[in-house]
Amino acid sequence: MSLWVDKYRPASLAKLDYHKEQANKLKNLVQCGDFPHLLIYGPSGAGKKTRIMCLLRELYGAGVEKLRIEHQSITAPSKKKIEINTIASNYHLEVNPSDAGNSDRVVIQELIKTVAQSQQIQSSTQREFKVVLLTEVDRLTKDAQHALRRTMEKYMFTCRLILCCNSTSKVIAPIRSRCLAVRVPLPSVEEVCSVLASVCKKEGLQLPAELARQIAEKSGRNLRKALLMCEACRVQQYPFAADQEIPETDWEAYLRETANAIVGQQSPQRLLEVRARLYELLTHCIPPEVIMKGLVTELLSNCDGHLKGEVVQMAAYYEHRLQLGNKAIYHLEAFVAKFMAIYKKFMEDGFDNFMF
Amino acid sequence: MSKLSLGGTASSGKLKSWVQPSFGGLIESSGQSNCSSKKGQRKTGEGKGKGQLLGSDSGSSKRSNKRRADCEASDFQSLCQEVSPTDQDEPWVDKHRPSSQAELAVHKKKIEEVENWITFHLDSKTMNKGGTILLLTGPSGCGKTATVQVLAKELNYQIQEWTNPSTLSEFRCDDSFRDAFDPHSRFNGFQGTSQTGAFQEFLLRANKYNRLQMTGDSKGTDRKVILVEDFPNQFYRNPGCLHDILRRFVKTGRCPLVFIVSDSLSGDRGSRLLFPREVQEELNISNISFNPVAPTSLMKVLSRIATSEAGKSGGRNLVPDKAALDLLCSGSSGDIRSAINSLQFSSLTDHSLEKSLWAAKKGKSAAAPKKAGPKPKAKSRSSKSADPLEESQAIGGKDASLFLFRALGRILYCKRESFEPSEAPELPEHLSEHKRDKLLVDPELVVERSHMSGEFFSLYLQQNYMDFFSDVDDVARASEYLSDADFLTAEWSSRSTMLEYGSSVATRGLIHANSARAKADCQTSVGFRPLHKPHWLLVNKKYRENCQAAQSLFISFCLPPVGLQTELVPYLAKLNNPMRNPAQIAFLQDVGHLPLRKFPGRLKLEALGDKDPGLLDEDTDGEDPARDHLHAKETTDPGPEAEPTPSCSQDAGADLPMSQPQPITSEALLDDEDLLIEEYESD
Repeated sequence: MSLWVDKYRPASLAKLDYHKEQANKLKNLVQCGDFPHLLIYGPSGAGKKTRIMCLLRELYGAGVEKLRIEHQSITAPSKKKIEINTIASNYHLEVNPSDAGNSDRVVIQELIKTVAQSQQIQSSTQREFKVVLLTEVDRLTKDAQHALRRTMEKYMFTCRLILCCNSTSKVIAPIRSRCLAVRVPLPSVEEVCSVLASVCKKEGLQLPAELARQIAEKSGRNLRKALLMCEACRVQQYPFAADQEIPETDWEAYLRETANAIVGQQSPQRLLEVRARLYELLTHCIPPEVIMKGLVTELLSNCDGHLKGEVVQMAAYYEHRLQLGNKAIYHLEAFVAKFMAIYKKFMEDGFDNFMF
Repeated sequence: MSKLSLGGTASSGKLKSWVQPSFGGLIESSGQSNCSSKKGQRKTGEGKGKGQLLGSDSGSSKRSNKRRADCEASDFQSLCQEVSPTDQDEPWVDKHRPSSQAELAVHKKKIEEVENWITFHLDSKTMNKGGTILLLTGPSGCGKTATVQVLAKELNYQIQEWTNPSTLSEFRCDDSFRDAFDPHSRFNGFQGTSQTGAFQEFLLRANKYNRLQMTGDSKGTDRKVILVEDFPNQFYRNPGCLHDILRRFVKTGRCPLVFIVSDSLSGDRGSRLLFPREVQEELNISNISFNPVAPTSLMKVLSRIATSEAGKSGGRNLVPDKAALDLLCSGSSGDIRSAINSLQFSSLTDHSLEKSLWAAKKGKSAAAPKKAGPKPKAKSRSSKSADPLEESQAIGGKDASLFLFRALGRILYCKRESFEPSEAPELPEHLSEHKRDKLLVDPELVVERSHMSGEFFSLYLQQNYMDFFSDVDDVARASEYLSDADFLTAEWSSRSTMLEYGSSVATRGLIHANSARAKADCQTSVGFRPLHKPHWLLVNKKYRENCQAAQSLFISFCLPPVGLQTELVPYLAKLNNPMRNPAQIAFLQDVGHLPLRKFPGRLKLEALGDKDPGLLDEDTDGEDPARDHLHAKETTDPGPEAEPTPSCSQDAGADLPMSQPQPITSEALLDDEDLLIEEYESD
């Protein structure tokens, strides 16, 4: 039994549930059997990957769905061995170069070179190019992005690149200009609801419309999350109730508790406890950026309007440092401490005003 | 002539004619004589019984050492003082060796401790119960060996000391030629004796036989103590070897065995390696740890030597004044041997180079008390406490170094002293909250002497600073400085330069931010706070490993990491989806669930001992089997909240399911899963 997310993933461009106009355009794009390099971007859970796979299927047929996981090791010029996992079919290769950390440049150059240099044997029945799908391009180092730019031109004849990322702001302009950019926006709440309803129908379940709406709103229109939530609801309670509590992930609940702990008391001891909780979150694979974002959201809902501006500004400041610095905990802790200080001062002032 | 009775003098006079002086300059030769005289001192004190135990080998090496020391010493004196060659050639360290307990510069309690141990174990009643072992530790030059020797004299026992045979080839120099052609000689046991073997044999013999009665050995006591200061190199590589020998000794031995190990900062060498705590407990080894010699007693010894030498030399020796002695005292950082050596050197006269050095030093030392003018008492006391870190010395200064524990303490407790209002301009009104008293520590120097990179030091500070703060505002400022420090070193191309600035910002920021300790007079004592090792490295390592594991385990979902870690894995943990392999189940159990209890118990605090080297392996890629074994043991340990252990459990191992899964939701599959997890672990 696979997850609903995978089970009911549309397999062809025609079967997509939303953004149908865009799907049509994509279909027309590959009609002639060729396409330019693509840069597909949009928020997480919008369906980028689904669209890419549909596109590849349109191009190569069902063969692209036979995936195999390959473990490749690449030797850098400095004799350092880099291990990386790739997912490949006969026609395409998917790789996340940022897995290799600082050596992502080598991965890009070597992998694409090997793919591009191997010619297709039967070019009559197949396309004369292969597709390399690079995910998380926005997390590539500048070095790697520049290497990518060169590679794109060099191997245009034998290979096409599809780049996938959340935001183009971190992709350098030369790459953006070499690709056809396609933005995949999030589905609207209604679209999420309809997808949920159709999935439940296929599963043979009754999904109340209110619950679907709640799930859609709570998931932040992230369709993957919405489907996972829906499935979790199903595990939690069936038949569905309209006002059923939607299960949230442990880390979200944990983060909210952490935020409450911060608001509840402002003292060095409490900060120590918060630090331990932050460590706990980190060891559970929650990235520091996500922690910071979640923390700010929770804290904002807890604090007075006067403070909000300041808190957000602070969060932006430390989030920036988080990206630049080495050790996330310094910056997370500094943010929490700063918030505590501000909040305490605010509460004390408020108390004074109240008294006199 | 009474001078002839000094052993070394006669021989040096003779030797001078046929040994070429090997060092031309004064500085080199004096330095050399200092260090060789140290050797000489130990050698002379080590009892004459050893020669017969180790054969001609150690005897001759000893003699050659002695000879070298002597000739160098004579060389040294012939250069700087032509007039009377007899009076000064013996290093003062040897000449003024303590002869009674009263002369020892060691704290009385410590002497008493050692004395009690030795008298108790020398006692014939307890002697037959097997070997007993004493371990003396402490920084170099704090009087460990001297204490044992003085006690030997007073308690009337003999010392048999082990020295590493310098080479074994002397045994067979005669038949080396024959050896080359004789295939059997290689298998001839005696010649192949390793140092370890020789050591074992030494222990055995020292244990069994009394030493021969030599002529001139008037006191014939058969009470003796075996002393080991030199360790065969093999023991550093493989301490287990030593432990095996010791186990045997403890069973069969009849006399006390004393080990003397100097503390070292570099960590891997020293008592912690040779005598780990388990072994100390197992073999019932008593450990007495010496402190550096206190400045007052050091001062006492120095001035005693100085006056006696001045009286003897009749004006040829310049007696250093009080300030100079102070300087020597502080520069040696509690190492009495180096203090005496530099005293001897600095009190030599009629050499131009030396004079200029003196002048420089005098100028400096003269400047110090002048500054202290109005409040001499407080000043002198405070300057003494701060001196080892601040003053640098022209001659004989020792590189003071700090154990991490103390270095952290200096930053966190940040001692201050009040200063005269006239000394510094008053801060303007709006900045008055930043007013701080004068700091007694130099943070950069502390970091430098902690034998640790600034980055690591900041990590230690970050782990521990919170306990020393009472106000949230202060904490906010301190954490901001720590964040700044990390930010400064962000750019890798400039990191090597910025590291120092980063640590400076971190330490000074922390000190300044602590407004509760801003004034010298209101520095309320926070009491002793245990220090801990930083969690961050462990956490960060675990984070990376877990992320990698997540990606490799759930690669078939084709998700970007963030989506995988924040959406798929947590929700998978909520669904009762049958997974395909047990590793995935174990991973979900471990990472997908978060304990919603109040206090997370996974991270155990690891206390930092006062002599811990505190070096952490940032990322250990290769796991050695021993460590794997350790982990296997850890996993069998039931409690996630274990006591703080000194064992090296910094890294959490490469396998994820090792750490305790914490099921909080009762699931139907739970039993099966547990079973599967176990199977996986045994792989």
